[in-house]
Amino acid sequence: MGEVAVLGLGMHPWGKFPDKPLNDICRVAVEAALADAGVRWREVDAVAAASSRFSGGKGWGLNGNDIVEEMGSTGIPVYNLSAGCAAGANAFNVGYTMVASGMHDVVLVVGGEKMPKGFIQTSGLDDETDPEYLRQRCVGLPGPGFWALLTRQRMAEYGTSEEDLAAVAVKAHQVGQHNENARFRQLFTIEDVLKSNMVSHPLRLYEICPVSDGAAAVLLCSAAYARQKSTHPVWVASSAVATMRFDDGLPRGLACVPSKGRAHHSEARISVGKALEGAGIGAKDLDLVELQDNTVYYELAFPEEWGMCEPGESESLLHKGETLPTGRMPINPSGGFLCFGEATTAQGLFQLCEVGWQLRAEAGPRQVPGAKIGMAQSIGLGGNGTAAVLKR
Amino acid sequence: MSKSNSIPAAEGLFTETADGPRLVGSRCATCGSAYFPRAQACHNPECERTDMRDANFGPRGRLASVTIQGYPPPAPVVWSDPYTPYAVGLVDLEDEALRVIGRLRVDDPENIEVGGEVELVLASLGHDDEGRDVISWQFQPV
Ligand SMILES: [Zn+2]
Repeated sequence: MGEVAVLGLGMHPWGKFPDKPLNDICRVAVEAALADAGVRWREVDAVAAASSRFSGGKGWGLNGNDIVEEMGSTGIPVYNLSAGCAAGANAFNVGYTMVASGMHDVVLVVGGEKMPKGFIQTSGLDDETDPEYLRQRCVGLPGPGFWALLTRQRMAEYGTSEEDLAAVAVKAHQVGQHNENARFRQLFTIEDVLKSNMVSHPLRLYEICPVSDGAAAVLLCSAAYARQKSTHPVWVASSAVATMRFDDGLPRGLACVPSKGRAHHSEARISVGKALEGAGIGAKDLDLVELQDNTVYYELAFPEEWGMCEPGESESLLHKGETLPTGRMPINPSGGFLCFGEATTAQGLFQLCEVGWQLRAEAGPRQVPGAKIGMAQSIGLGGNGTAAVLKR
Repeated sequence: MSKSNSIPAAEGLFTETADGPRLVGSRCATCGSAYFPRAQACHNPECERTDMRDANFGPRGRLASVTIQGYPPPAPVVWSDPYTPYAVGLVDLEDEALRVIGRLRVDDPENIEVGGEVELVLASLGHDDEGRDVISWQFQPV
């Protein structure tokens, strides 16, 4: 496999844009990535796009085709990838693989989405063969309730307090306030967070991510092509995709086999493990991580599950400031999903843009000093997991 | 509420037996894996041969976790009007490698502890548009 460079990064800010068509939002991100790379649209050899469930794509998830029509129909191949909330990062993996294999020199990876109002119903199906439908109809456990069950298990096991949970949200906004692409940039105190509405006990409104509109794009190219354009590009150290294991103890429908150890997202653990192995590093060698914080729980649980720190250690690292950009285990210097909100299928790409900007030392007040290697991680419906390590 | 004035939340997921209510699922005769609801094929990657048989599960279990649903969720979730927050539990069934989610039938959702023992009941989640009780499996403290 050949080396793959991250030549261009582009983003449309996350927010709510009821009067702006999805194509306009995506075009802003794509044009920014092309300009950042110094590449013209007609030099792009292929597009790998996240299929949106909620917007555009002619109702068929053909969001990459929409972008090609918008930018100019050059006849290039388009790959539309669906992996729930992991779709953007899944498309990144496909783009990476195509460049690394030598099939294409320059591949645009893009994800953009406009979300309907309110919490998302996880499944799009309304029939009794769909486990997610049955979970709502027979029990009534929306997404935040699922996260709450995991959180309560952690509280019972490690003594995590409601103040600890709130402190994760406070920290997210402390760094996210500096990110002009983030939607929620106000500062909160622990008291503010604890006063916000209870959504699914013990999780409160400010401790879970709402939905947003947004788009992000990454331009990948071969080493030879990169050398013509940049003296010091960011490189893809590894990119991995996984799906869940049978026995990880998470009931994705109505029931599951209990796990032997702690219940966990095996799709995340496997993809992160493969990405670290591919990059030839250990979890503690990462200078920063952008992880999928749909809720504060994940910022506490994931670093432990992946070996970045010891089980039960996350709360003390958080309180000591070690997860801030200036700490020794920086997590989500972008502000994460808590500050962006979730434009589901575009999320994996805003994370990769952030890691890229951090490695280029272009992150301003939220910069991780001296960042050389960082990881982006996402999970999605169906037990999809992705992780990619970028280095410079 | 008379029997004719109630409907199951979904067909084929639970049954009333001589020994009390049970969940209706499957067990693979080859590897012993338990499934709820019924599965057509064994999902255990270590299993050599799918051999699915109908199986009933319950009634006892232990609460592995619990949450309280703070806001009224949209359809198809069923709740009784006016909305009062209800509890949902993650239950590890006794003598069975099966972890099931279910609504909890309790008077005071705030006072449920992880680790507590529960048992299966069939009870109303609330009413549908036609005023019928929508029946589902639930767990209540023993
Ligand atoms: Zn089997």
